[in-house]
Amino acid sequence: MTMIVEALDLKKTYMLGKIPVEALRGVNLKVESGDFLAVLGPSGSGKSTLLNLVGALDKPTAGTLLIDGVDVSTLNDNQLSDLRRRVGFVFQFFNLIPRFTAKDNVELSLSIIGVSKAERKKRAEELLETVGLKNRINHKPAELSGGQQQRVAIARALANNPRFLLLDEPTGNIDSKTAREIMKLVKRLNTEKGMTIIMVTHDQHLAREAKRIVQLFDGVITSDVVNGELT
Amino acid sequence: MKTRDVFGYSFSAIKLRKLRAGLTTLGVVIGIAAIVALLSITQGLQNTITMQLETGLATDTLIVSPGRSVFSEGGAGIGGGIGGGESSFSLFINDTATINGLSPDIATSVAVIQRTVYVQSPDRGFLINVKGVDFAQYADIYGSTFVAESGTINLNPANDEIVVGKTLHDPWENGTLLFNVNDGLEIIWTNATARPPENETYTGQITAVLTEIGGFSFGGPSDISVYIPIAQAQSFFGTDECNQIIVKLKSSDQATIDSVSNAITDAFSGEASVISSTAVLNIIGSVFSVIQLFLAGIAAISLLVAGIGIMNIMIVSLIERTREIGILKALGMKSRTVLMIFLGESVIIGLIGAVLGIGLGWVLANVVAVIFSGGGPFAGIGGGQAAGVGAGGMDIIPVLTPTVLVGALGFGIGVSVIFALYPAWRASKLKPVEALRYE
Repeated sequence: MTMIVEALDLKKTYMLGKIPVEALRGVNLKVESGDFLAVLGPSGSGKSTLLNLVGALDKPTAGTLLIDGVDVSTLNDNQLSDLRRRVGFVFQFFNLIPRFTAKDNVELSLSIIGVSKAERKKRAEELLETVGLKNRINHKPAELSGGQQQRVAIARALANNPRFLLLDEPTGNIDSKTAREIMKLVKRLNTEKGMTIIMVTHDQHLAREAKRIVQLFDGVITSDVVNGELT
Repeated sequence: MKTRDVFGYSFSAIKLRKLRAGLTTLGVVIGIAAIVALLSITQGLQNTITMQLETGLATDTLIVSPGRSVFSEGGAGIGGGIGGGESSFSLFINDTATINGLSPDIATSVAVIQRTVYVQSPDRGFLINVKGVDFAQYADIYGSTFVAESGTINLNPANDEIVVGKTLHDPWENGTLLFNVNDGLEIIWTNATARPPENETYTGQITAVLTEIGGFSFGGPSDISVYIPIAQAQSFFGTDECNQIIVKLKSSDQATIDSVSNAITDAFSGEASVISSTAVLNIIGSVFSVIQLFLAGIAAISLLVAGIGIMNIMIVSLIERTREIGILKALGMKSRTVLMIFLGESVIIGLIGAVLGIGLGWVLANVVAVIFSGGGPFAGIGGGQAAGVGAGGMDIIPVLTPTVLVGALGFGIGVSVIFALYPAWRASKLKPVEALRYE
């Protein structure tokens, strides 16, 4: 198994005005290829901070973080951008570009890495078909339901063949029925395509869908168990 | 990200806020239109004046006047003017012989006695410029302009023969003639050197009216002058001194002009000034360059205002799109691509603004030209030709030179890009985590 994410004594301190806030206080975590990890914790536990670090959106204050074998703390702005191209982000609020259609949104992440127009189109259509949106490819986000928008976001995240998917409360903004469908899709990606998935959530029910559950509390990991062992 | 995709993305952002982008572009349009209109009108005016000067001033002629030239070294200064400075030195009619002997490049030369006189028509009087010249030599030098429209220019005239310019014949250009061939013309000259000053009078007969020449004239024939034989001028004005000697060269190349000019200056120990038409045209050219620079500078201010507008709008756009920039960065877009996207927007605005501005400026220039010309034809690029000074004023044909065209385009885009640099830089420096959190 390849190691996708490896965190050793990971620390992150923010300055909230003049007051330092320790969001992560020594996190140790290993995520292997094919894993489906749920990071569970209440708000303020450091979930989002961990997500930002693992997504190469931010750099740690101390400790080591290897993403796909690369030490994040040594990277410059440009190299961080390159690293992000190996991560598939799915956000709670979808974060689609409103003026673009579903297809254009998926194509966007491909155009950023310089894929040709013809190939972008082909790949975007395939991906939207995979997430079950074949008939809505020319709709703009405003013309799609929350669930559909999240499917577009997942298709976009998958576009540049990421090493892993990073999901931030992926169903936090959609109804429970649609949420179940989205989770079914995510699980299918993990079981059928072997996609490594790291999902951050505060929802215990959602976390139970994962293979492994990590509990984060007050900036440290309080438990790290294979699903089913949690009581 | 490919350049084409960068521009595509920039364009999609502009399209989203059409009105705002349109108004921003309008600022550039106005600035560029002002520059183009002013420059093409001044260029047209310069061309018109140059053309008219060239008509009145053959390029193969030199004008020798008494007094040090303001253009030569050790000149008499600004007070001297084009005709030479104050000096006790006088040119005499027979100095033409001296000049003719100076260089084999000289074809001929003619002396001109020039005075302002008063002429009386049946119902009014006029102050007019009278020139005493040798009709034969003058016609030889100015073969294309010292030509009779009606009557005949007698090359060996009697003393009372008079040739008049077109303006004296038909001043209102409406067929109401003031003086015609065979009319008598009473010339009244006030001899200010006599004590007490007295009016001298003689009546001559008009034998010819010149064809319309148009424009101004340095030494050469003009529409507003009256011509009398040199011998008559000598006796009537009681002088052998002349105001100018016009020298015709065998060639109009610069080397000939320079060598003959130097020879003449040396022959008169620097007391006479020699002006070539090319020198005059060069001076006019440089005067117009200054005027153009000045006008373009004023117009450029409006473009700077447009630039500040662009900066303002880009900053607003940057704030509105903070989250979008966060998304783009999360998807792996590099900071320099974000910079390019914002600069791309300004390039598009600048390009559209400049193209529309050039078009609008060109239309404006033509409208202004038509108004100033009193209803002349709507001109095309490089078309038309300049007409003379008349009741309708001067015909200005606006000229859009390639330099102005390319310059306006470059300036429009340049100003847009420069003012977008700061907002674009700020956008590129946004931290993805903070940008994504932005509401």
